[in-house]
Amino acid sequence: MWRRSLSAGYRYFGCRSVGPKGLWGSHAVHSCSAPAFPAGGITALEAVNLWKRHFAERGVTEPDNSSHYIIAYLFGAKTLESLDQRRLTEFLSPEKTEQMWKLCSRRLSRMPLQYVIEEWDFRDLTLKMRPPVFIPRPETEELVELVLTDLEMKLGTGAGANAQHTCLEVGCGSGAISLSLLKSLPQLKAIALDQSQDAVDLTGENALRLGLQDRLQIHHIDVMKDAETLLRLCSDVSALVSNPPYLFSEDMTTLEPEIFQFEDHAALDGGKDGLKVIKLILTLAPRILSNQGGVYLEVDPRHPLLIQRWVEANVEEMHYVETRQDITGRPRFCILRKEKSNKEHKLDLD
Amino acid sequence: MAYRRAVNLIPKGKNCVFSLWIPCFQKSPNVIMQTVRFHKQANNYWGRTTRSLHTGTPLMVAKLLSVDELFAKRSLQEYLKKMETEYSECLRAVNSSVTEEQYSEDELRVKRTKVSLLAPLIQSIRELDTKQKEMAETETLLKDEDPALQELAELESEGCLQDIQHLRQKILDLLIPEEEADLSDLVLEVTAGVGGQEAMLFTDEVFDMYQGYAQHHGWSFDILEHMTSEIGGLRHASASISGPQSYKRMKFESGVHRVQRVPRTEKQSRMHTSTMTVAVLPQPTEISFTINSKDLRIETKRASGAGGQHVNTTDSAVRIVHLPTGVVAECQQERSQIKNKEKAMKALRAKLYSMKLEEETSKRYNQRKIQIGTKGRSEKIRTYNFAQDRITDHRIGMTVHDIKSFLLGEDLLDEMNSALQEFSNQEMLAELLGENNQDS
Repeated sequence: MWRRSLSAGYRYFGCRSVGPKGLWGSHAVHSCSAPAFPAGGITALEAVNLWKRHFAERGVTEPDNSSHYIIAYLFGAKTLESLDQRRLTEFLSPEKTEQMWKLCSRRLSRMPLQYVIEEWDFRDLTLKMRPPVFIPRPETEELVELVLTDLEMKLGTGAGANAQHTCLEVGCGSGAISLSLLKSLPQLKAIALDQSQDAVDLTGENALRLGLQDRLQIHHIDVMKDAETLLRLCSDVSALVSNPPYLFSEDMTTLEPEIFQFEDHAALDGGKDGLKVIKLILTLAPRILSNQGGVYLEVDPRHPLLIQRWVEANVEEMHYVETRQDITGRPRFCILRKEKSNKEHKLDLD
Repeated sequence: MAYRRAVNLIPKGKNCVFSLWIPCFQKSPNVIMQTVRFHKQANNYWGRTTRSLHTGTPLMVAKLLSVDELFAKRSLQEYLKKMETEYSECLRAVNSSVTEEQYSEDELRVKRTKVSLLAPLIQSIRELDTKQKEMAETETLLKDEDPALQELAELESEGCLQDIQHLRQKILDLLIPEEEADLSDLVLEVTAGVGGQEAMLFTDEVFDMYQGYAQHHGWSFDILEHMTSEIGGLRHASASISGPQSYKRMKFESGVHRVQRVPRTEKQSRMHTSTMTVAVLPQPTEISFTINSKDLRIETKRASGAGGQHVNTTDSAVRIVHLPTGVVAECQQERSQIKNKEKAMKALRAKLYSMKLEEETSKRYNQRKIQIGTKGRSEKIRTYNFAQDRITDHRIGMTVHDIKSFLLGEDLLDEMNSALQEFSNQEMLAELLGENNQDS
């Protein structure tokens, strides 16, 4: 019966973007007509089902998950599964209904869900998310796992046990990688860089929320343009971690609107072969790392072989250790290590 | 409301008879129980009061034996002798030099372990022997004509008797074997059974009860899977529980739980009977149980397409299939995919480990079936009758009242649980002595 006032609903939810950078390019929202705002009462479950259908009709990806996560968020839970199911049969308060319509309308405009609810989980952490800062993908959780395993070994044994270990992250985005490492390793210090002021700010906010700010330095540096500043800041680093932009430029156009319209292209586009930033990182790595320090990269599945060949031909002192696969079995991670030859080591001492 | 009224219609007498049984199980630590098949006469009696509750599970009745009665048994004496002989043999083998006897290093290691395992038992048996000899000596003094000496002998024999009782109890305790899994943490699984939505509502209540039970004991309770029904029930859920004695206590909850009540969803106030199943799976440690990662297929929503930066999915559900057995575990409790994977892995490990244990147990006990324990998940173990506000455990015929308090998972559940524990110990001893078939 509340369907009757279709137009009445509009004023509750404009299809405004919260993106500060005007990311609503040419692809932007054609129509954001939400279902009519229910004048009478509506239960949580009814609202969820209504939006599910609406998302599906409008071709919004993941219609079920989107409405589930939004209602869970409104009830203070993380997932629908962890929510007390009895609450779903209760009537939504007018405030909650209004919020539901506001958030779902944002999603209807293809805004990624993580931006809609302004938070997402990465491993043990709940991080604040805000456009256009890159939303960490599940694969990167596995990258952290690789780094943690190696660093735990270094911190836990013999010579390295007492030494101060620092890791460097190039392109920190929301801070997911650095903050996860700091959270898991209380002795570790980290330096995080990003070319985007939004990312630097968000990483700072997340660090503060998690109480990890004391062991994290954050710098606004574009390594492509200002490698010198980076080299001045960092030396003797134990691990260099990065989830650099690695998409091939030609693939950018095939991205879903969620990514293409809302996320920072600079965090995605890795140039013609997707290796632009990766090559720079590997070139600088020997001057940043301590001996035996490692580079951990998340890359496109087409990259590992290319990277191995390129490094062997172009970067002395960097030794390609191995390629690791992600949970779906794709070659996704490259591990490299700095190994000084004895001769050079002697020269250094002179 | 309806069931409240109904309570008064039930003759109180029957409940009293039920409760008569409780103290026997709980308050007699020095009594050993031997389970025997139900005899005719009792069957008629129980059949009348509990006919509606039983669905073919043979009802056990317990015959109580005192410690003294037990020690009078030939089987126990023979068993203790056997243990002593075994101990002496092993000890001799361990002490003899390698040249004299032909034992391999492995055999010797086994025997050394056996010696250290049996030592406390043997020591108690020997102490008991000494005490019994002392007792015999004082008994001759009791017949002495000197009254002073007689009095002294009386005092002494009293002390002796006490020591003997104490030692006998200790020996019985030492005989009861520890289960390999007793020290582990566990994964609890609840699944709605017969009865549609009502069964799912009850499943939800039982899951809450165990959450309360975990809290009551200070155990951690971490939900792994949670599949709900539309009206607030629970189709299936699992949780990882850890803390001291958690498995040892929770294992008795395994089986089919039945609820009899007028469902919330029922408009005509008709009584329904529904069921749900509880499985309690010991959680193996990393070291004690390993899974080859090559045997696993991990399924996620990101499997198709390019993955990585190309896609932004919020579906972080993970499903893991163990290929050799086809056992599956999944988790979508978390927004983080790696967390879901960890939890699914935990559930999977527990499932596989319990399969392995079950296989081992069935080898050990292939001739006879243990009545209580982790066996028989399909066995109806307990009925929650709301009309009579009672909970009856069919394995030991014990009834407690006040379902509301029981479902809090606090003292009442604990009481039931302790009774089961006691019963199980006694049953295990009977099993050990191989007496179930033989009349004593």
